Amino acid sequence: MIKRFIRHNVEDAGSSGSLNDLSFLLIIFFIVIAGFNVNKGFLLNLPSKDKPIVVNTQDIMKCSLTQEGQLFIDDSEVKIEELSDLIVEKLKTWPNMTFLLVINPDTQYQKVVDVISTIRKLKVENFSFRMEKME
Amino acid sequence: MVNIKQKRRNPAITTSSMSDIGFLLLIFIMLISLMNQRYEEKINYSESTILERTQADENFEIWIQSNGKITANAEVLNGAKLENAIIAAIAENPGVRIHIIADRETPYKYVNEVVSVLQTLQHRVVSFVIKEK
Repeated sequence: MIKRFIRHNVEDAGSSGSLNDLSFLLIIFFIVIAGFNVNKGFLLNLPSKDKPIVVNTQDIMKCSLTQEGQLFIDDSEVKIEELSDLIVEKLKTWPNMTFLLVINPDTQYQKVVDVISTIRKLKVENFSFRMEKME
Repeated sequence: MVNIKQKRRNPAITTSSMSDIGFLLLIFIMLISLMNQRYEEKINYSESTILERTQADENFEIWIQSNGKITANAEVLNGAKLENAIIAAIAENPGVRIHIIADRETPYKYVNEVVSVLQTLQHRVVSFVIKEK
């Protein structure tokens, strides 16, 4: 019986593609995870407590937000979609209109965020908010 | 006649150090992400379709639970403590961005507590942190 020894070429250990792929996938994972820590939301300017801003009464649109999340303008209830239309109409005649939101102390934060979001969407430049005085 | 023409080798790029570079990068990014680790409270974020990036270079986060518990950097802050914590953060870095991160079910009076303190300290800009819907 004749045995023939065939010399095989030794493969480069480092050329194992799966190792590279795995490490790069982990890198991408950590880069994506690092991006999750970024805060997003609304940037609001707080008015001074001592120096209230004087505004023409015709320029103000005062809106009350109740505990249940209902919106009232001049004692009449409006839906959030109707509010958008009202603001658009008002902005046509009073471009420098100030939207004042008076919030009930027990209103859920999400309801407040919903109104602020609508105001932001309509690009109302002058937006002010305060809490109703507690009894 | 002597043939001095050598047999031409196939061109190849050695990739043996590729995995080393990959793992070094991996360790580097893991360490960086550990450095950026921040304190978090378990809350249900408010959601909106419109939002902007409010993250600054220096940030101070105030967490408000639905029961009115206010915390910052794992410390419960009430009344004067909250004011002192904000003063300390501003004194350390005057350009610090204050973030209010409140649970979606938090009654607004608790958020207003923090807003009032900021107004008293004449801090003008505040970030209301929410998530994208």
